[in-house]
Amino acid sequence: MADTKKKTAAAVNEDELFTFVSNDTLESEKIIAPRYSYWRSVFRVFFRKKSNWVAIGLLVLLFLCSFVIPMFCQYDPYENVTNAYMYNQSPSQAMKATGGFSFKWILGSGQIGNSIFYGIWASARTSLLLALICAAINMSIGILMGAVWGYSKTMDKFMLVVYSIIANIPYILLISVLVYIVGSGFWPFVFALTVTGWLGISYFFRTQVMIIRDREYSLASRCLGTPIPRIINKNILPFLTSVIVTLLATELPSYISMEVFLSFIGIGLSASVPSLGRMIQEGQVAFRTYPWAFWPPVAIAALLTIILYVLGQNLADATDPRTHM
Amino acid sequence: MGKYIWKRIFFSILSLLAVTWIVMLLVYSLTDRSAIFQTDDVWNKRSNNDRVLYEYTQYQKYGYLEFINFTTFSKSKWVEIYGDAYDTCPEYEADRNIIQKVGDDYLSNETVQEFIQYYESKGYTIVRLDPIRYTTGAKQLKPGGTGYLLATRERPIISRLWEYIKGFFSVETTKDVKDETLTDRYIRFEKDPYSGLFAIVGSGTTHKYLLYFDSKFPFIHQNWIHMNLGVSFTRYRGQEISSVITDSQGDLKTKRQQYPAQVGSDIWVDTAMDFHTLTYNMGELTDAEKVQFNDKYTNATYMRDGMSMIGNSFVIGLIATAIQYMLGLPLGILMARKKDTWIDKLGMWYIIFFMSVPSLAYIFMFAAIGTSLFGLPYKFANATVKILAYILPTLSLAVHALGGTMKWMRRYMIDQMNSDYVKFARAEGLSEREIYSVHISKNALIPIIHGIPGTILFCLVGAIITESVYSVPGVGSLLTKAISGHDNGIIIACTVFYTTLSLISLILGDVLMAKFDPRISFESKGGR
Repeated sequence: MADTKKKTAAAVNEDELFTFVSNDTLESEKIIAPRYSYWRSVFRVFFRKKSNWVAIGLLVLLFLCSFVIPMFCQYDPYENVTNAYMYNQSPSQAMKATGGFSFKWILGSGQIGNSIFYGIWASARTSLLLALICAAINMSIGILMGAVWGYSKTMDKFMLVVYSIIANIPYILLISVLVYIVGSGFWPFVFALTVTGWLGISYFFRTQVMIIRDREYSLASRCLGTPIPRIINKNILPFLTSVIVTLLATELPSYISMEVFLSFIGIGLSASVPSLGRMIQEGQVAFRTYPWAFWPPVAIAALLTIILYVLGQNLADATDPRTHM
Repeated sequence: MGKYIWKRIFFSILSLLAVTWIVMLLVYSLTDRSAIFQTDDVWNKRSNNDRVLYEYTQYQKYGYLEFINFTTFSKSKWVEIYGDAYDTCPEYEADRNIIQKVGDDYLSNETVQEFIQYYESKGYTIVRLDPIRYTTGAKQLKPGGTGYLLATRERPIISRLWEYIKGFFSVETTKDVKDETLTDRYIRFEKDPYSGLFAIVGSGTTHKYLLYFDSKFPFIHQNWIHMNLGVSFTRYRGQEISSVITDSQGDLKTKRQQYPAQVGSDIWVDTAMDFHTLTYNMGELTDAEKVQFNDKYTNATYMRDGMSMIGNSFVIGLIATAIQYMLGLPLGILMARKKDTWIDKLGMWYIIFFMSVPSLAYIFMFAAIGTSLFGLPYKFANATVKILAYILPTLSLAVHALGGTMKWMRRYMIDQMNSDYVKFARAEGLSEREIYSVHISKNALIPIIHGIPGTILFCLVGAIITESVYSVPGVGSLLTKAISGHDNGIIIACTVFYTTLSLISLILGDVLMAKFDPRISFESKGGR
C-alpha cells in the first residue's frame, strides 16, 4: 500500500502536487462546524456493522413471508379435518397423497391434517402484529405516563400506590385472569396484554426521568421559565432515546414469547386465531414422533425473537451519541 | 430499622388485601360465568326450568352464589312437625301443588309467605320459575318444565373478603368435635409411642396429635393451627388447597407399626397409615377398628413414597437456583474481566440466546438432546431411577436463570470498573485478580443480593413450562389449571400465596441488602 503511494507520487510533477491559495479574508470569517445530524449518525453507526445487514435481510424476509404468503394462500386448519388419512403426515407422504410437489406440504401436515407451512406464516403474522400493536400501545402510554409521573410530584404519590398494588399481583396471574374475563380473541388478548402492561414501562421510565429532571441544565431551563411540556419534550426525552430503544428491544420479542407461553399453558389466543403458541402446543404432544409439526413453529418463534432482540440491542447501542465518533 | 420494617409489613398487608379484593372482584363479578357450561353435557341435556335450576346448582358449587330451594324449606318445616311422615301430610302436599300452579296463586300459601319473608329479611332475592306447560291451562308439563321457587343471594365482594380473612387462621379447640358421646375433652402432654418423645395430644379436637416430632423434615410438626388459603370447588373436591400441595404423592409406603390400642403388645402390622395424622371419626367404628384403637380417632392419611407437589417444585427450583448463582456470578465476573475478548462474546451469545428465545423452544431442545444423546428419562412418571428424572427439569430451569445472572453481574461489574476506588487499588499495586474478585465484585453484588430471597421463595411457585414439558407433578400448573377449570377457590388461594411470597421477598431483599451494604440505611434521617 505504502509502496504504490510512493510510486504515484513520484510519477507526477511536483508543480501538480501543490497549488497556491490566495488569502480569502471573507472565507476566514465563517465558522463552519461539520454538520451533525443525530439520526443520520445513528444509522451510520448502525449500518457500519455487517451483521446488522444480515439481520435486517432476514427480518425483511420473515416480514414478507408472514404478510404476503397468508394473503395468497389462505390457511384453513380444518380443510382436512374429515380426511383422517392426512393427519400427521410427513412432508414426503403428504406430497405423495396430494399428488406431486407443492409448497403447501413442504413441511408436512399437523394433527388435524392442517398444512404446517401455511400455518407457520399465518401464525407468524399474528405474532408480529401482536408484538407491534402491543409494543406501540404499551410504549406510547408507558412513556407518556412515565414522563408525567416522573415530573409531577403529586402524580408520583398517587401512582406509586397504584403501582405497588398492581406490581404485587404476579404478572402471569393478572394476564390469565384478564384473558379469562375478556375472552381470547385477538383484540381481547391485546387488551389483556396492554391494560396493565404499560405500568412497568412507566415505572422504569419514571426513574429515568427523575434522574434527569434535577440535572443542572433542566434546572436552568426551569429558572428561565420554560413550560413543563417543553422541558419534557426538549430537555428530557432526547436524552432518553437510547433508553427507549433499549426498552423497545426487550419489549418487542417479549410479546411473541408471552403469546407462545400463554397459548402453551392454554390461556392464550382462541383456536380460531392461528398462532405460534398454539401450533407449538399442538406439536409438542408427539414431538418425537412427528417432529415436522413441532420444530418449524419453534424455529420461527426463536428466529423472530432473536432477530428482533439483536437488532434492537444494536440500534440501542447506535442511539448512544458516545458511539458516534 | 425495626420501625421501618414494621411499617413495610403493615403496608404489605394492606396491599395484599387490595390485591385479594381486586382478584375476587375480577373472578366473582367480572367473569362470564356461563362459560362453565360450554362443555357441560348435563347442561345440554336439561331444558327449561330444570336447566335454570342446574345452572344455579353449578353456580353454587363454583362459589358464585348461594340459593335455597323452596321445597327444601317446606320439607324441613314439615319434618319438624310431622317427623318422617311429612310427605303424606296434607299441608306439605298443598305446598308442593301451589308451586306448580302458573300465576301468582302461590303467594297466598302460608309456607311460601314465610319463606319469602324469612329470606328477604336476610338479603336474598326471590326467584320464581313458573311451570312451563304445552298450552296454557293444560295439565302436562313440558320436559323440565317443573316450577320452582328459589331464594338466591350473591355475596358482595367485601363480605367475601371479610369471611376469607376471618377464616384464614383456625385453631383447633376441644369443642371442635360435635359428638355428644365424647365427654372427656382435654389438651395435654402425653408420651408419644411413635416417636418416643412427648407430644401434645387433644381429645375433642379434630386431630389427635396437635404437636409431635418425627423423623421427617422439619422434624417438628403441628396440626393445631391451620391456614385456610382456599378450598378447591371442583378439581380437588372440597379439599383445602394447602393440604393438596403439601400431601405426599406416589405409591403407598407401608411400615411395620403397631395400632394405638396394641402398643406394648407384640402385634405388629405392615400399614401405610401415619398415626400422627389421626382425625376424629364421626361414624360408627367397625369391629376391627374397635380392637385397634382406644378412641374414635381412627382416620389417618397414608404414607406415600413420593414427594409432595410443592416438594417436587421446590427441590428442582432450589438446585437450579444454586447452579444459577454458583456458576453465574463467577462467569459474569470472568466476562467483565475479559471484556471484548472471545470469552465475553461467547457469553454474550449465550445470554442473547436464552434471553430472547421463548423458554418453550429451548426446553424442548433440551428435552430432545437430553433424551436422545444421554438417554435421560423424558417424562417424570416413566423414570425407573427417580433421581435421574430430576436432572433435565433442573438443568432446563438453570440454563435460563444462569443467562440472566451472568448478564446482570457483567453489567454491574462493568459499571463499577471505572470507579475511583478501582484506580486507587491499581495504584496500590493489587493484582488484577484481587481487584476483580474482591473489590469490584463486592460492590457489583449488592443489587444482585436484593433478588436472592425472591429467587429462592419463588421456587415454591414452581415452573409452569418446565413442569408441564417433563410432566413433573409439581405446583407450577396449579393456577393455570384452576383458571381453565374455573376453580375459583384455587385462583384466590394462588393469588394470596404468590402475592405473599413476592411481598416477603421484597422485604427480605431490602433487609439483606442493608445488611450487606452498610451505606444503605432505612432510617428516615438524611439522605435521598
